[in-house]
Amino acid sequence: MAASLKVNAMDKPTIVIDDVSKAYGATQVLRHCSTRIAKGEVVVVCGPSGSGKSTLIKCINGLEPFQSGSITVEGVEVGSPRTNLPKLRMRIGMVFQHFELYPHMTALENIMLAQVRALKRSRAEAEARARSLLKRVGLEAKANAKPANLSGGQQQRVAIARALALDPQVMLFDEPTSALDPEMISEVLDVMIELAGEGMTMAVVTHEMGFARRVADRVIFMDQGCIVEDAAKEQFFAAPASERAREFLSKILAH
Amino acid sequence: MPEVILKNLPFMLQGLATSLQISAMVALGGTLLGLIVAVILYSRVPVLSVVSRVYIEFIRGTPLLVVLFIAFFGLPALFGYQTTAYKATVVAFILFIGAYLAEDIRSGLMTVKPTLTQAALATGLTQGQALRFVVVPLAVRRIIPTLFNQYVRLFKFTSVASVIGVAEFTGNAMLVNAREFQPVTILAFVALTYLVICLILSGIGRWLYARLAVS
Amino acid sequence: MNYTLQFGPIWDNRALILDGFVTTILLSAAALVLAIVIGTLVGTAATAQARSLRVLSIAYVESMRNIPLLIHMYFWYNGLSFLKIPAFWCGVLGLALYSGAYVAEIVRSGIGSVPRGQRQAALASGLTNAQAMLFVVYPQALRAIIPSLASVFSQLIKDSSLASVIAVADITYQASAIEGQTFRTFEIYITVCLLYLALVTVVSQTLTILSGTRDGLARRVADA
Repeated sequence: MAASLKVNAMDKPTIVIDDVSKAYGATQVLRHCSTRIAKGEVVVVCGPSGSGKSTLIKCINGLEPFQSGSITVEGVEVGSPRTNLPKLRMRIGMVFQHFELYPHMTALENIMLAQVRALKRSRAEAEARARSLLKRVGLEAKANAKPANLSGGQQQRVAIARALALDPQVMLFDEPTSALDPEMISEVLDVMIELAGEGMTMAVVTHEMGFARRVADRVIFMDQGCIVEDAAKEQFFAAPASERAREFLSKILAH
Repeated sequence: MPEVILKNLPFMLQGLATSLQISAMVALGGTLLGLIVAVILYSRVPVLSVVSRVYIEFIRGTPLLVVLFIAFFGLPALFGYQTTAYKATVVAFILFIGAYLAEDIRSGLMTVKPTLTQAALATGLTQGQALRFVVVPLAVRRIIPTLFNQYVRLFKFTSVASVIGVAEFTGNAMLVNAREFQPVTILAFVALTYLVICLILSGIGRWLYARLAVS
Repeated sequence: MNYTLQFGPIWDNRALILDGFVTTILLSAAALVLAIVIGTLVGTAATAQARSLRVLSIAYVESMRNIPLLIHMYFWYNGLSFLKIPAFWCGVLGLALYSGAYVAEIVRSGIGSVPRGQRQAALASGLTNAQAMLFVVYPQALRAIIPSLASVFSQLIKDSSLASVIAVADITYQASAIEGQTFRTFEIYITVCLLYLALVTVVSQTLTILSGTRDGLARRVADA
């Protein structure tokens, strides 16, 4: 039932990436990438390091410019100079590999900043929202802690709360667990799994194949700047079409 | 305290008040100027960043005394306006210390990782807001000791203003000396006073840094 | 703006300017040598085993650099006027004692940057303490501190202008004199600015190049 709803939603996808290429000088980092992400869909992007997966995900909210092709998010052209990027980004939450919490602010202030300054919420409203999000990620006791006094897993959960504070339509995750000690990975994944269960549209760059198996609808495999494989989860894990994806999977699952 | 100091204390303290007043104004103005110039360089604003570079290089290659002479004698002659020794001092010192502060603040800004700015942008903040709320506050916290070194330096500089006749601490003390002729005592008192205030200033810097510092 | 720039009167006084410029160079050079000697001694004392030496070193640095340079100069010129030290040497002493504190700080951190084992290895091989510092520690420290030294040296050159206040006929002093005669205020001070800028640039560039060739040389030796 859920699957068929999503297929129908593909008629009006949330994110459309169409023939995107990007180069840093002579190095081509993205080559003719195309894919679509429907509302409520969870897509895992994987691939060897340097395959361009982080770059691709940062193109979606315009943090990385690209030279050709187009990306639209809810019908808004990301690459267009007329697009109000800050406004668009408020609808797209992003979580970074190294958390990127503001070190001079408390957890609460980290979550409030964009609500107050970008979304123009009142301080009281922003604080209430921040506190309820901290509670949701299990950190209400850490509201006044500085990032330096939080563990990696706690920092990443605050970062997720910060992204959710703007009530985004889409969440982007750029290797959210790869900078974490192993024992902290699950506390972050649990929050993400819960989010997926609530129907959030998510694009997740990760090597956590357990997470992919559990919540992903689709898996995209990238190598050398190309989208090599873009398949339903079951199909990807059962029978990867390409040799490179098979190799990658066997390496990663061997761990 | 020696009698010659006690007798002339009010006059000298009046000078000290002027020194502190000039220092406070220049610290404020210089930090503001330094911040603006640093942000221009950091954001690579066309044309303005070239102007900023030239300004910094020029000031950093020039003695304070000469900048003071230019502000007091040179610029008023060139542009035909009146100034006072006090005003010229404040202007010259702001221009002077602003160049050094600009370099310090700029290198502070460079310590903020680009991905932190990206994180701020990703939440919908504009470039300006990301600078104002994330990058600048973080950079400034990291360079508090350097900033206070410059404020100490600047406080010591105020002694030079006596050369163009500003009635600050050194100037007043030397006037007292001209009357009393007890140079060793008077200079020792002056030196000690500068020393204590400079040490207090750097102490405040260290205290602030310990309180506000972030990794 | 009814002021027209005229550099003619400046050119007419080129002999005076040159004379002042030479004095500035001599003053800076003498103070520089003395400051390096003071800085090396005081900076080394800061790393000594004996607590008393370390305390003395810190006391020197903190007191000297927190007293305005002008006061240092007045001290030698006015305070100790009975000694009748020529103004030039009062300037040199003031500058050297003041800048020496900054050099000491740099030397201290330079020595700190050389791994402890280096000195211990030198001592173990039978060198005396002084030999270990001279042949093993200082040469390695020097390379690390050249950029900071360059900035202290340029600061010293600019600071030497304060000697004009105690009547040392340096370039700033001559500029005031020429200004008094010609009233070409702006032109003379801009000229002086450019001369300082040139001197500072030459000194700091020379040091940078020297450190570059030293590094290059060291690398070539290491590779061989």
